[in-house]
Amino acid sequence: MSGTDTSVPRLDVREVTVRFAGLTALDAVGFTVEPGSVHAVIGPNGAGKSTCFNVLSGVYRATSGSVRFGDAELTALAPHRIAALGVARTFQNIALSPMLSVRDNLMLGRHRLTRAGFLSAGLRLPSARREAAAHGERVTEIAAFVGLSEHLATPVGLLSYGVQKRVELARALCMEPRLLLLDEPVAGMNGGERRDMAELIVAVRESLGISILLVEHDMGMVMRLADAVTVLDFGRRIADGPPGEVQNDPEVVRAYLGAAAESTTVSGTEEVTS
Amino acid sequence: MSKKVILSCVVLVVAAVAIPFYLEGFWLQAGLFAMSAAIGAIGLNLLTGATGQLSMGHAFFLAVGAYAYVYFAAEPEGGTHALGGLGLPTPVAALFAVLTAGVAGGVFSPIAGRLKGAYLGIATLALIFVGQHVLFNAEPVTGGYNGRAVPPMELFGFVFADSPELVVAQVPFGSLERLWFLGLAVLTCAALFARGVLRGRPGRAMNTIRDHEIAAGVMGVPVARYRAGVFVLSSMYGGLAGVLIALVFQRTVPDYFGLLLSLDYLAMIIIGGLGSVAGAVIGAFFISLLPQLLSRYSDALPLVAEPGSGGVSPAEASRILYGAAVVVIVLFLPGGLLGLARRLRLAVTRRLAPVHATRKTPLSPSSTPSPDTRN
Repeated sequence: MSGTDTSVPRLDVREVTVRFAGLTALDAVGFTVEPGSVHAVIGPNGAGKSTCFNVLSGVYRATSGSVRFGDAELTALAPHRIAALGVARTFQNIALSPMLSVRDNLMLGRHRLTRAGFLSAGLRLPSARREAAAHGERVTEIAAFVGLSEHLATPVGLLSYGVQKRVELARALCMEPRLLLLDEPVAGMNGGERRDMAELIVAVRESLGISILLVEHDMGMVMRLADAVTVLDFGRRIADGPPGEVQNDPEVVRAYLGAAAESTTVSGTEEVTS
Repeated sequence: MSKKVILSCVVLVVAAVAIPFYLEGFWLQAGLFAMSAAIGAIGLNLLTGATGQLSMGHAFFLAVGAYAYVYFAAEPEGGTHALGGLGLPTPVAALFAVLTAGVAGGVFSPIAGRLKGAYLGIATLALIFVGQHVLFNAEPVTGGYNGRAVPPMELFGFVFADSPELVVAQVPFGSLERLWFLGLAVLTCAALFARGVLRGRPGRAMNTIRDHEIAAGVMGVPVARYRAGVFVLSSMYGGLAGVLIALVFQRTVPDYFGLLLSLDYLAMIIIGGLGSVAGAVIGAFFISLLPQLLSRYSDALPLVAEPGSGGVSPAEASRILYGAAVVVIVLFLPGGLLGLARRLRLAVTRRLAPVHATRKTPLSPSSTPSPDTRN
C-alpha cells in the first residue's frame, strides 16, 4: 500500500474545547482510542459528537486542547494533512459526488496514495496510467468486500440511501486508513441494512485491525460493537468506560431519559446536529 | 460501441479537413473563431464547470495571451508611437504567451485558492477593469486604443499568411485556410489534454471540491492548492485561445476583451454543458456561429430588418435569440446541449433495444429505505 506506515497508533484526545462565539460546543473533552479497538462516542442531540469528529478530521479548529495520533498533533493540521496520516472519515449526511460513478468516488479515496498531477494526467503518461490501473484493482477488491461490485459503474446519485452509505464507508476504506471515523453509519437505515452495516464494521475491524471511532444513536449497535464508550452531554464528558458500565451510569440514564422513563434504545432519534 | 466512436471520429476528422476546400473565407473565419472560443471555453469549464469556481475574468486571460504573443513576436517599432517588441520566433512567442497567461493566473491564484464559487466571480471582475485600463493606457506594449498588428505565425518555415501563394488541389490557400489546420490541431490537443485531466486523479479531486468541499479536504485533497492550480490551468487555456484569436483577427483591439466576452464564455459552458470538454466545444460553436448564421441569412428571416433601417437588426436578433436560448436551456436542459444529445441517444437506444437497456441498470429493492424506518 504505497509504503505508508501501517502500524496503528493510539488516539489521545486531551482537554479539547471548542467555542463558537458564545456557545461552548465542547468543554474540555478527553478520551483515548486504543489501537485496534472500536470506540463509540454517544450522547443526545447537540451533545457535541459531530463537533468532536470535525475537530479530529481538521474541519474545525479546537479553541484549546490537544489531539495526538501517535506522534502527530492533529489540532494544528489542515484536513488533507490529517488524511495523509491515515485518518479517514465518513459523513452523517452523505458527502459523495452524485454525478460520478461509484468507482470514481472510491478512486478519490486513493488520492492520498497516488501522485498523478495535471500534467501527467493530461498527457496520459505511462506512470499515470499504471498508477490508475493498480489502484483501480484495489478499489475493485474493496468494493467487493463492502458488497458494491454490481454498482461500480453506476452514478452514485442513482443509488438508494442505504447503498450510498456503504459507498461512503468504502471510500473511507480506500484511503487504507489506520483510524476510521464513522459518523452515524446506520442513521436512517432499516433493520436489515443496520445489521449488514454492523456486520461490515465487525469485518473491517477483524480483517484490517484498525482503530474505529464511532458516533451512533443506535444504542443496541453501540453496545454490541464497542469496546469502550464515551458519553457526551452539552459538550461535556459525563461517562467513559466499557459499554456495560456506561449503560448503568446514573448520569447517562439521566441525560438520555430525563424524567420520562422510556426504553434505553434511543435509535432513530430526530437528527439535528451535523 | 467503440467501433461507432471510431467511425464518428473518422467522419468528424474527414469533414474538418475537407471544409477549407469547400467553404468560403467567411465561414472559415467563423469556424476559426469558434475553435478559439472552444479552447477558451474548455479552460473555463475546467474551472467553473468541473471545480465550481465562477470566473468573470476569463476575457482578461485571453487578452494577456493575445497581447503577449504580439509583444513577444513583433519587431520593435520606433517613431512617434513607439511600440515595443522582442522579435522572438513566433512559435516561441506563442508558447511564452501561454506561459505568461499562466503566470498572470498564478499571480491571482492566492486569491483564487482562498475564494470559492460566486465570491471568486466577484473578485475576478476586478481583472476585467484592470485589464481594460492597462490595454488602453500601456501604449508602448499594447498600442492603446488602436491595438496592434499581429505578426503571422511561422512554423518550420511555413507562414500562416496570404503570401507566399499556395494552391492545394486548385484551392488557393490563404491565411484562413492555413490557420484552419493549425486551429484544428491545437483544439484537438487542448481537448485531449483537458479530457485526460478530467478523467484522471485531478478531475476527481476537482469534482469533489465542487460537490463537497469539506469531503474533498478530509479525503486528502489540498483544496486551496487545487483551486489555485485549476485557476492557473484555466488561464493558460484562455491565453492559448487569445493567441489563436489574435492570429485569426490579425489585429488585437482592447474593446474586444471586455466583460461581455467573459459573459459569452460563461454562456458557452452553460449552454453546452457544465464540467465536460464536449459541452464546452458544443457551447463555443453554438455561441460563436449563431450570430454569424443570423447575420448571414438575415434577409431570409422574418422580422429581421436590414442594418440601419430601423427594425430589429440581425445583430440584435441574434442577441435576443441567444438570450432566449440561455433561458430555455437553464430552465429545461440542466445538462445543456450535451445533456440533450445524451438523452436523445439514450431514448433512441432504448427504443431500439428495450431489453438491453433495462438490464443495464439493476435495481436493489432490498436496500430501499421505507418511510417508517427513515424518520
